[in-house]
Amino acid sequence: MPAKAILSVQGVSKSFGGLKALRNVNLTVEENSIHAIIGPNGAGKSTLLNILVGLIAADEGVILYDGSPLTGLSPYKIIQKGIARVFQTPQIFPALSLLENVAIAAFARRDGQFGIKMREALRPGHPVLEEAADILHHVGLAAYMSEKAQYLSRGDKRRLELALCLVSKPRLLLLDEPTAGMSRHDTNRTIDLLRALSRQGMTKIIIEHDMHVVFSLADRISVLAQGHVIAEGHPEAVRADARVQEAYLGGVHAQ
Amino acid sequence: MTDDMSVLQAARSSASPTLRPRGLGGRDYVVISAFALVILTMPMWILTIGGYEALATKIVIWGLFALGFDIMLGFTGYLSFGHAAFFGTAAYATGLSLKHLTPNLLPALGISIVTAVLIGGLIGVLSLRRSGIYFSILSLAFAEMLHAAALSIFQQYTGGDNGLTGLPLPMLFGLQMQGIAVFYVAAVLLIIGFAVAWKIKRAPFGLMLRAIKENPLRLEYAGINIWAYKMAAFMISTVYAGIAGFLMVVYQPYVATQYVHWSTSGEVVIMSVIGGVGTLVGPILGAGFMLYFENVVQAIIGEQWRLVLGFVFVCVVIFLPGGFVALGHTIWHRLGHLVRSRRRNVSDMETDSETSGRSSARAGAYTSGEHDAC
Repeated sequence: MPAKAILSVQGVSKSFGGLKALRNVNLTVEENSIHAIIGPNGAGKSTLLNILVGLIAADEGVILYDGSPLTGLSPYKIIQKGIARVFQTPQIFPALSLLENVAIAAFARRDGQFGIKMREALRPGHPVLEEAADILHHVGLAAYMSEKAQYLSRGDKRRLELALCLVSKPRLLLLDEPTAGMSRHDTNRTIDLLRALSRQGMTKIIIEHDMHVVFSLADRISVLAQGHVIAEGHPEAVRADARVQEAYLGGVHAQ
Repeated sequence: MTDDMSVLQAARSSASPTLRPRGLGGRDYVVISAFALVILTMPMWILTIGGYEALATKIVIWGLFALGFDIMLGFTGYLSFGHAAFFGTAAYATGLSLKHLTPNLLPALGISIVTAVLIGGLIGVLSLRRSGIYFSILSLAFAEMLHAAALSIFQQYTGGDNGLTGLPLPMLFGLQMQGIAVFYVAAVLLIIGFAVAWKIKRAPFGLMLRAIKENPLRLEYAGINIWAYKMAAFMISTVYAGIAGFLMVVYQPYVATQYVHWSTSGEVVIMSVIGGVGTLVGPILGAGFMLYFENVVQAIIGEQWRLVLGFVFVCVVIFLPGGFVALGHTIWHRLGHLVRSRRRNVSDMETDSETSGRSSARAGAYTSGEHDAC
């Protein structure tokens, strides 16, 4: 039963000088699914994500989001279509408070790419700040909402960035190693949160090295190696695939 | 788990339409009124510290210039080394309007703002594509080009090295503009400028500018057109510089070539840095300090004043990166421990985010520093 595809990557290639980072990558992401992309270091996972959000341009190929091409659009225009991204190194606003961090993304959703609303002042009780506070409460950072983001631990910065993405209510969320640097407890908490969000109609593409996270979350897995998609399918199928075993899971057969 | 599932619903319900975003409140008006009071009484209190009326006028004009400059440097994090371009061209526009059109001030004000915006728009479009040192160098290069143009191809209009001379005394509503009248015109414009900057800082617009300074990549990936915000900030900053250039000619009906010289750009940088970048009173304080030093302290210590001023600048940059305003904050916080009501209780024991979260947003503290406001 094929579900509706929200994102479709068709024949994308990218080279950096002589290095072929991606070769003719094809990928289809179904709506409301969690799609994991795994692969060894240097396989081209982050490059693919960077191409999706317009950070770098593909040499060849087309990316269709909800039926319309994303290729050639500025990053902010891609984001305004309902996509959000969590980066590999947490990208936050260090000297601003947690609440301000999240409020920025909330304003970006409310007012679009640009808007000077001089008639309002940011003060307690402002609906956008209330909304930001609720999201922070939700990811478990509410206790520090008036502290500067730079004082957070690495794991908490990740959660803040996730909050920042969630407040923009994306239809498609791209996560680049969302649990790196988190304790097992926090990792499980994040897994629960991500699962719950899928049920509410949020599609996710997740790059992850932690197989515990991948296999407890993903509906589908694509395996990248040396710029190729070498396998794609349901987690069980991928886990059993001999090529995947060899390329990534280290040749050791399933425990 | 059930709590997790409600994330979107919770967010939606919180943005209830009954809560309207409020504009400026009581505390904002208190600050702006206090500022207005201090500025308007300056010709009186400046006498007690060895100043004089004309010095007050100059401080107000340069304060406005530095305040606008800080919208770029302090708010947005873009160091412009070419603000003399807008200050100077607006001054020339004012001079030409007074000389050839009418001695009336209002057309001159309009023309000078339009000129500054046009020049600023052109330089902004060309130089805001880059950031950091490249932006600074580009802005400096464009300003120097204008300076060279004023002394060469536009010499017949600008008067070349002699400056634009022979201007009539400006008039406003049949009143000759000189002495204290100029001060009050400048003071009113500075107070308006301060109120606008205050509003920008408190509005979502100001938050976006601070976000550009903090992390442009993240802001772009929040869905924001950074370039549009930078350009808007630059244009606002340009208007401030233009009005200051206009006032300079009203204060002294003569346009010096120095107004488009890079040293004018440099002076406004030093004023902002000494006073405190990213604050509203800082640049004005810095302008006051510089001009006070140049005019009053110089008379006392003589020729070495530049050396001493350089020393003060170096000390501020090394020991007081936040300028005079940061010094003020430090003293305020140190003294705060002596006052029981201002003792801040930082709870590092707080681990239960579930109970404290919601209440703290509503209780009030939401910014990274309450005193950052001014």
